[in-house]
Amino acid sequence: MTDRVTRRQFLATAAGFAGSAAAAAVLGEHVWPLLASEDLIPGPAPELTLVPSAWETGADRLSFVAVGDTGSGGRQAMAVATAMARTYQRSPFGLVSLLGDICYYGNFEDRFEHVFARPMRPLVDAGVGFELAIGNHDAQLRHTDESLAQIEAELRLLGTPGLYYATSHGPVDFFYLDSSVPSVFGRAASAQWDWLDDALARSTNRWKVVTLHHPPYSSGRHGSTPGARQRLEPMLDRYAVDLVLAGHDHHYERTHPVAGTTYVVSGGGCKTTSVGRSGFTAAAESTLQFLHVDVRGDRLVGSAIRPDGSVADRFALRSREGR
Amino acid sequence: MRRHVVDRVAPPVYAAIDFAVILAPALAVKLAADRGGMGDAEGIDLILASTVLGGVHAGFAWNRLLHEEHVAVRRADMWISALDALAVLALGATVLLLAIFYGFADEHASVADRGYPVVALWTGVQALAVVIAEVSGRVVFWWLEPHPRARRRDRGSARRA
Repeated sequence: MTDRVTRRQFLATAAGFAGSAAAAAVLGEHVWPLLASEDLIPGPAPELTLVPSAWETGADRLSFVAVGDTGSGGRQAMAVATAMARTYQRSPFGLVSLLGDICYYGNFEDRFEHVFARPMRPLVDAGVGFELAIGNHDAQLRHTDESLAQIEAELRLLGTPGLYYATSHGPVDFFYLDSSVPSVFGRAASAQWDWLDDALARSTNRWKVVTLHHPPYSSGRHGSTPGARQRLEPMLDRYAVDLVLAGHDHHYERTHPVAGTTYVVSGGGCKTTSVGRSGFTAAAESTLQFLHVDVRGDRLVGSAIRPDGSVADRFALRSREGR
Repeated sequence: MRRHVVDRVAPPVYAAIDFAVILAPALAVKLAADRGGMGDAEGIDLILASTVLGGVHAGFAWNRLLHEEHVAVRRADMWISALDALAVLALGATVLLLAIFYGFADEHASVADRGYPVVALWTGVQALAVVIAEVSGRVVFWWLEPHPRARRRDRGSARRA
């Protein structure tokens, strides 16, 4: 019996130490950081009722919001959406520019209600428009049949005209790009660059804003997207683009103007990751947030707003045409 | 270290570790909420739920150890089963949460939208992990310890020898 019990003790001890080692490794390395960086806990959707079409858009005036990486459906996403609705109550805006990654933890068609319809309902009911730049969770870096189906569902459900397109609102022209690898560096890339060149050349509005998922400049976890600057910057400079909005990294960051263009990462739509500072950084913070932008004539004021309504950063720009 | 000192110190230390293991996931979520600028109150509900559950189970674990100190034929069996229970609890109380919240994101989102308290779901999942850990600790202790019939058989073989 003594031998058998000793064997049992050995087995149970080995299991205990192996379990403890696994727990220490798995929990410390993966699970706790995952709980702290993901947005897995569901939360109540905003229940505000907003005054429809309360914003003022004219030839010289536009208010809009830019937010990326909102697609969890969790309580942090709901907090950001609630803060957006509250901001609408104070200073109404008629457009939300979605900077990609609008769906995590599943496909968009199945999760549409949880990641878009519920959190954005007050704004949708108020008639606010939504425009989307495709993100990498919506379209993997390599397009597969599955990711293309996902993109197709997003474009259809949000009424988006294509992978890349331009819109015009008041004094601002928006240029939405598909920044996934096939569209930036793949065989289809030249079509998109040719289109952008042409669209920027034809743009007549005072303000030009380029919107894409992958940031050309970022000091966050993913960092600056390799190759994006080389492809974009000459064109942005040639056509005096004022502002580039991106997501992908889950933080807020604004650059000093680079060759006249200001780059903003507004990727704190539901998760946060750490951010450092680089030579180009004017402001950076690892926080949940969205960017509220107010354009009046040749002046643009941007405010990065946290879920509790406090302001993480505020900046003002003069349009490059007016300078 | 003297045995009576170990007997006195070990149960509360074990209970404290047990409590910390149950509380840790809620602290991770609260940390994310704080870092994200969600406001001070956000995440407190889960901390309170895990604190209550962890406190209750720490009490159970403390008493289990005290009880086993008295009844264990071999004290090593008590420590081995306590270690096993703690490993099961550490993995269960966190990995189970992650698996359920990640794997059934849509179902939980629906629950939250109906006003059903998510904190109840959180507590339920952690309570399940606690029960699994408690049962596994007791089963391992029982499995390791010599039982009366075996003891009698051992005594008989010793007499024959």
